[in-house]
Amino acid sequence: MPILEFEKTKTLLKKYNIPFCETEIFNSSVKALNFAKQIGFPVVLKIHSSKIFHKSEVKGVKLGINNEQEFVKAWNELAKIKDIEGILVQKTAEGVEMVIGMKKDDQFGPVLMFGLGGIFVEVLKDVAFRVGPLNTSEALAMIKEIKGFKLLQGYRNQKGVNINQLAKTIVQVSHLAEKEKNILAIDFNPVIGNPKSVLVVDFRIVV
Amino acid sequence: MFSKVNKLSRIFNPRNIAVIGATDRPNSVGLGILNNLNANLGNRKVFYVNPFQKQVLGQDCFSKITVIKEEVDLAIIAIPADKVLGAVRECIKKKVSGIIVISSNFGEAGEEGKVLEKQIQKALQNSEVSLIGPNCLGIINTANNLNASFAPLMPKRGNVALLSQSGAMIDSILDRATGENFGFSKIISYGNELNLGLNDFLEFLRNDKETNIIAVYLEAIKDGSRFLKIAKTLSKIKPIIVIKAGRGEAGQKAALTHTGSLSTDYQIYKAVFKQAGVIQVDSIDELLDTVKVLSFCPRCQNGLGILTNGGGLGVLAVDFCEEFGIKMPALTRTTIQTLKQESVLRGCNLTKNPLDILGDALSSRYEAALQSLLIQPDIYGALVLQGVQIVTEPMQNARAIVRVSRHFPNKPVVCCFAGGKLTKEAIEFLEENKIPNYTDPKRAVLAFRNLIIK
Repeated sequence: MPILEFEKTKTLLKKYNIPFCETEIFNSSVKALNFAKQIGFPVVLKIHSSKIFHKSEVKGVKLGINNEQEFVKAWNELAKIKDIEGILVQKTAEGVEMVIGMKKDDQFGPVLMFGLGGIFVEVLKDVAFRVGPLNTSEALAMIKEIKGFKLLQGYRNQKGVNINQLAKTIVQVSHLAEKEKNILAIDFNPVIGNPKSVLVVDFRIVV
Repeated sequence: MFSKVNKLSRIFNPRNIAVIGATDRPNSVGLGILNNLNANLGNRKVFYVNPFQKQVLGQDCFSKITVIKEEVDLAIIAIPADKVLGAVRECIKKKVSGIIVISSNFGEAGEEGKVLEKQIQKALQNSEVSLIGPNCLGIINTANNLNASFAPLMPKRGNVALLSQSGAMIDSILDRATGENFGFSKIISYGNELNLGLNDFLEFLRNDKETNIIAVYLEAIKDGSRFLKIAKTLSKIKPIIVIKAGRGEAGQKAALTHTGSLSTDYQIYKAVFKQAGVIQVDSIDELLDTVKVLSFCPRCQNGLGILTNGGGLGVLAVDFCEEFGIKMPALTRTTIQTLKQESVLRGCNLTKNPLDILGDALSSRYEAALQSLLIQPDIYGALVLQGVQIVTEPMQNARAIVRVSRHFPNKPVVCCFAGGKLTKEAIEFLEENKIPNYTDPKRAVLAFRNLIIK
């Protein structure tokens, strides 16, 4: 099962109005640094490789890079990792980590998944499923179904997530899944949300 | 093109029936079917087809179905699997409306059986004949006393349609439901779904006047997208209750994505049922509890008034209401005033829902309190709890509840007379009068939850 290429994925997300974190892929540190300055620090660097599925396991992610010196140091460390095809420069997104996924089921067609990111999805499996295509109210019901919904509304000092924007994103993913017949599975993990925006930060689309 | 659904109405109301594999061999499925058919013939004729016997049960046999001169609407085939294809071809020649293949040893048994199924499918392709099964128990239509199955008993007539992939599940449910005050409209054992399947039966039941509730046992759905589409609209007019067996999570581990590894088949089914408005239950007990409440009571909005003669039962009920998202509206000033005007309720705390009418409550208290609760507009139904204390009069209470509930035909009353020997007679009276009773508050609250229109 091949993974859809980086640029094609971005084109597809734009086509379906699925907002994603500003990201570019580079092979040269000079161009990469220019891009970082353009989008503004702090930025994130991540390795790009079709062979490595779990970037963090090979220490392929550097968060919170605040200036040029930190950037160069991080770049040099990442460049040493085997099998990489480039390095991603990404604007830092702040907020609640979530997951939006899709799998094409033989019987029911596109099945959408939504949950909170990190341990919520991996350990607690606090996720909700729906068969697509979804409308906004179905997406909202899906969001409200998870046990961690309170965290999306804001909890203690942590800010919440723009729920309407989130529902819209889920609806758009369901449309993408419905219309793009060659797409078998989608993992948007994490999707980061705050009161202003909901952005896809990491994506993997299986074709 | 012909409509499979139209064919079904002929299959459930056949004028003439042929049994291919008719036999009087003791303890055989074939004999079981004959006995069930013959128990209530009405105006129907049953022809016996068996090339190896001249007579069965004193009636002449035909060597094959095509020899029968009269029209045959329904053919029931109960012969070894390898002979079924030939019999199906004969039925097509005879232009029957429908065939039920009881025989097993098809797709469920292995590759050879799957080949047989494909051959039968091919034979049916250019015909107007519909087929139920194979590997099934048959069908029952209580409206015309048709028992075209080898079920061990004929169920009471009622408004529940029961569909099942497993025949044995039907037998157990029918036996369990024997003493109940609800009954069945149609029983459909649909087996391997070679031709007619769950979706076709659901479509058929949409316009079946006898059926108000649909109960389904299933392991897997063929054509899931069509199921979702049908169930979404059907469940709004006729509640659908499903037991889904098979929660296996195997085969998901190698998935490339999180979504892949988390979305097991069972998770997807759960999501589908939720989206379709289908009530999912886990056990036969829960299925029967749900069928009973839906069979007896009108559906309603979320808002429950609780009445109890014991604190403990009330607290338990409230716990489950909170857990299952059931609203318990506060009593309005008008309700409280009405309650206070009732002299029998003097001494009770008349301001709270649940309303505790105390351990020494006689039936007059039950009657006055239930009446006042049900008048309140945002109380859409009532749960009446009764513990058997030394002064309690279960039978009189039951009578009072039946009397009051008759004045509120759109507001369901669910009872929890918690007890055994002392309450048995009262419970029977309640249920004869279509007031469902559950001996445990949790089951009663769950039953009410399933009445709520979402």
